[in-house]
Amino acid sequence: MRNKDKRDNRSDLDSNIDSVVKYADPTQGLDPQQQSRRDFLEGSGAAVVAGAGISALGISTAQAQSSNSAARTAISVTVNGIQHSLEVADHWTLAELLRDELDLTGTKIGCNRSECGACTVLMDGQPIYSCSQLAVWANGAIIQTVEGLAVNGELSPVQEAFVVNNGPQCGFCTPGQLMTATALLNNNPSPTADEVKDAMVGNLCRCSNYNSIVEAVVMAGEEGGVA
Amino acid sequence: MSELTRTGLEPLNTIGNETARVDAVERVTGQAKYTRDWKLPGMLYAKVLRSPHPHARIVSIDTTEAAALPGVRSIITHEDAQVVWGSGSVNGGRQYNDPTKDATLHRRYIFNNPVRFVGDSVAAVAATDRHIAAQALTLIKVEYEELPFVLEPEESLADGAPQIWPEGNLCPDFRGELNPMVSDIGDVEAGFEEADRVFEERYETSFIHNAQMEPRCALAHWQRDKLVLYTPSQGISNCRHDTARDLGLEDHQVQVITKYMGGGFGNKNQNQDADLVAATLSRRAGVPVMLEYSRREDWLGVHGRWPTVQNYKIGVKEDGTVTAMELRGYSGMGPYRKNSGGISGMDAYGCPNRYREIHPVYTNRTTSGNFRAPSEPHGFYGVENMMDEVAYQIGMDPVEFTKINMRRPTEEQQFTNYSLEEVIDDGVERFNWQARRKVVPGSDDGPIKRGAGFSFMMFRAGVGTSSAIVRVNAREEYTLYVGVTDIGPGAKTTMGMIAAEALNVPLSQVEVVWGDTDRCPYSVGESGSRTTIMTGIAVVEAVQDLQRQIADGGMPSGSDVLIASASPTPTTDGKTRQCFGAHFVEVEVDTRVGSTRILKYTAVHESGRIINPTTARDQIRGATLQGIGQALHENLLYDPKTGQPLTPGYYRGRHLTHKDIPDIDVHFIEVDDGYGPFGAKTAGESGIILAPAAVANAVANATGKRMTSLPITRDKILGAMA
Repeated sequence: MRNKDKRDNRSDLDSNIDSVVKYADPTQGLDPQQQSRRDFLEGSGAAVVAGAGISALGISTAQAQSSNSAARTAISVTVNGIQHSLEVADHWTLAELLRDELDLTGTKIGCNRSECGACTVLMDGQPIYSCSQLAVWANGAIIQTVEGLAVNGELSPVQEAFVVNNGPQCGFCTPGQLMTATALLNNNPSPTADEVKDAMVGNLCRCSNYNSIVEAVVMAGEEGGVA
Repeated sequence: MSELTRTGLEPLNTIGNETARVDAVERVTGQAKYTRDWKLPGMLYAKVLRSPHPHARIVSIDTTEAAALPGVRSIITHEDAQVVWGSGSVNGGRQYNDPTKDATLHRRYIFNNPVRFVGDSVAAVAATDRHIAAQALTLIKVEYEELPFVLEPEESLADGAPQIWPEGNLCPDFRGELNPMVSDIGDVEAGFEEADRVFEERYETSFIHNAQMEPRCALAHWQRDKLVLYTPSQGISNCRHDTARDLGLEDHQVQVITKYMGGGFGNKNQNQDADLVAATLSRRAGVPVMLEYSRREDWLGVHGRWPTVQNYKIGVKEDGTVTAMELRGYSGMGPYRKNSGGISGMDAYGCPNRYREIHPVYTNRTTSGNFRAPSEPHGFYGVENMMDEVAYQIGMDPVEFTKINMRRPTEEQQFTNYSLEEVIDDGVERFNWQARRKVVPGSDDGPIKRGAGFSFMMFRAGVGTSSAIVRVNAREEYTLYVGVTDIGPGAKTTMGMIAAEALNVPLSQVEVVWGDTDRCPYSVGESGSRTTIMTGIAVVEAVQDLQRQIADGGMPSGSDVLIASASPTPTTDGKTRQCFGAHFVEVEVDTRVGSTRILKYTAVHESGRIINPTTARDQIRGATLQGIGQALHENLLYDPKTGQPLTPGYYRGRHLTHKDIPDIDVHFIEVDDGYGPFGAKTAGESGIILAPAAVANAVANATGKRMTSLPITRDKILGAMA
C-alpha cells in the first residue's frame, strides 16, 4: 500500500524535474521572476556561495556584508507534503531554512561546504546537499527530509533496515545516508552492494559504519520495498 | 559481504543476542536531538575569531566597530575574559587529575596571548543571528606581532628553535619538570650485547584529526548562578566537573545535557573551550548562547592524534629471540599539552630488556590530543613494522616470530585470562595466512603485487568506579539511570541489556535514562572503552541491590516505587585484565600508480563476553576502517614556509568513502573470565590499534619495500619502487 503511494508520489516528482534543473544549479541563479542573477550577485546570496573557501577561517568579507542587509524573497516550497509560503533571507541556505525556520532539525550540518553529505535532502526526488543550496532556489520545489520518510510512525523499508542492521552509530550522518538511499531505491529497487556504494559515495560516515549502511540498503531492496 | 562469527559462549537471555538499539527509531527518523538542534527562547548565536598566524603576539584588539553592529550583544577577548581551560593544557597530559591541573605550568586560557597556532582563539561574539556574529568577527581589528614558529618536534627541541613557552619546548611532566617519559626495564645494553644482530629504523606517523561528523558546539543558559550546558560530550560527569572547576563553581551548579552527540573518538571527552566561551558570553549577555564551530574551526581548534617520530633499535638472536628493544620517540603536541603523547606497543612484547624514551614536544601546529586508543595505533604500527621487518630479515614467519616474543603471563604478573595465542591461531586459519603471505616479500611478478600482513595486540580491560540507579514500579516497569551519552557504540542499549539480563526481564521492560547530569549518577564517560565494563558492573550491582529489596519487602504496590543504586569500585585481584586481537589483511599494490587496495581483511578479537554482537561487530569494523584511513590516507599537512595548515576538512583529508570500503570479517572468541559485567571486556578502541600495523606490513609484504611513514600515500610507494 505504502509502496504504491510512494510511486504515485514519485510521478509527481518527475513532473517537477524541469524546475529542479532551473533552481538547483547555482550558476543559473534565482527565478527571474523573483530576482535577477545580477541582483543576486550584488546582494547577499553570492557571498554564501563563495564563502566556503575565501578566508583562512571561513569568514569572507562579502559574506559578512550580507548579514544585515537581510534582503528577503517570497518563495513557495513543499516540504514533506506541506506547502509553505514564506519569506526567506536571500543568504539562507536550504539547510538553514529547514532547520531554523521549519524546525526540521533531522537534517544535519556537518561541514557546510559540500564535503560530507550529512545535510542531504531530496529536492524533486534528487538527493542534494542542502548546505550548498540557497533557500530561494527551492522556490517551487518539492523537498523531502528524513522527517518525511516514516508515515504515522511506520518506518520506510530502508529505515527499518537501518534499525535492524545498526545503520547509525553516532547517527549524525544517518539522515543524509537515508535520503540518498531513498533516492537510490526509488530508482533502483534492488541495488547491488556496488551500486549502493556508487550512489552513496557523497555521504561520509566517520564512525566508518559503511559496511552496515551498505548492507542495510541492500537489505531494504531485497525486502522488496521501494523506500 | 562481511562475515560475523563467534565461538566460545552461548547467548544468555538478552546478552549475546543481536539487538537493535533502544533508540534506533529516534536515530532514523530525525527525532534524535543533537546539541545544535536545541533552540531556546531569545537564544543568541556565537562565533569565534581565530588566529591566522602560527605564532604571534597580540599587540592590540579593537572591538569598537564590531560592538556597534546592530544585533551584536557581547564580545569577549583575552583582555576581559581570562578563563583557564584546565583540560586544554595540563602537566603530563593528566586529564583527570585535579591537583595536576592546579599545578600546571603552561596554562591555556579560552583566549591566549600570544597565539600559538593557526586557529588559536582570539575573540568571540554573540549576536542575534549567526550571520551577524560572523560579520562582527570581520570588524574586529587585531594587530599582531608575528613571531618565529616551529612545526616539527625534533626541530622544536634543537638549539635556537623558536621558544613557544619560556621553559622551552619539551612538555613538562606531571610534576612540572622538564623530563621525557622514560620506561627502563631490565638491562637494555646487556640485551644488545647478547644479540646476534641489531636492527635500527626510524618510523613516522602523521596528525590524524578525529573528524567526527558533528562539529563542536555548545549552548549555555544561566539560571541565576546555575549553568545549564547543552554540549556534545563523551563524558557528562567529567564535562560537568571540568566546567565547574574552570568557572569557579561547584559541580552541582552545572548541569550538562547531552541527549545525542555526533561522534567524538576522544575529542569530546571532557569540557571544551567552546563550553567555557558559550558560558561566558551567555552570562554577560543574560540570555542563552549557542556557539557553533565551522568544520574548519573544528579541525584546527579542537584536536587530533599526535604525530610521532619513532626510532627503534632491536637486538635479536638467530633463533628469533628478541634480547633488547629500544625506542626513542617524539610526539608533536601542538602548543598545549592536552594529553599524554604516548607511543605504546613495546609492552606487548615479553623481552626482558626494554628502554623507551618519549619526548612530548610543543610545536606551532594545532593541538594534539586523544583519538580512539590514544597511544596505540601509531605505536603498534611502528613497533610491529619494525618487528615484521626483523622477522623477514632473519628468515622467519612474522607469526612464528611473534609467538616467540609476545608478552605472556608470568608468575609475577598473572592475567585474568590469556587468549592471545588462540586469537592469532584462529586468524591464521580463517585468513589462510600461509597461502596469502609471500615468503619472499615483493616476489609477485609484474607491476601489480599482492601480499599479506599481520598484527596483534592486547589492550587494557581493567575495571573501575562508576555508578547506576535502577527503579521499579508496581507494573514491573524498570527505569535505569546511567550517566552515559552514547557516542555511537550503543552504550544506552548495552546498559539496558545488562540490566535486563540481571533482572531476568525482556529489554522492552527497561527504560534507560541518560545524558543529563541532574538526572543521572556519575559515569566514567565513553572514553578508554570503559563504559561497558565499568558502568556495566554498576548496573549489575544496582540490580542486585534492588533484588535484595524485593526479596525483603516484595514488589512495590500502587504508586510506590523501589529504588536501588550502586557505585562499586571493583578490582581484578592484582591480575592484569586485557582484551586481545589479531588482524590479517591482504593487499594489492599497483606499483605503476602507487595505489593500495584491500582484498581481504580478517579481524579476530577476544573481548570477553559480547553483550550486543551487532554493535560490537560495528565497533570493530568501524575502528578498523578508521585505522585503514590512517594507514593509507589521512594527514594534516602544513606549509613549512608559512605555518599554514593545508588539508583541514574531509575533502583534503581524503577520508574513506563508501567506495573505498573493503569487507571486514569479524570473529569474536568469547570468554568469561569472571570479571566485568557477565565477563564483558573492552572493544571500542581495540579495532583501530591493529589496522595501521597490519596494512603497512601487508604493503611491505607485497612490494618488498618497508614503508616507514604513515600515511602510505601513492607518492611514497612510487618513490620506494623507483
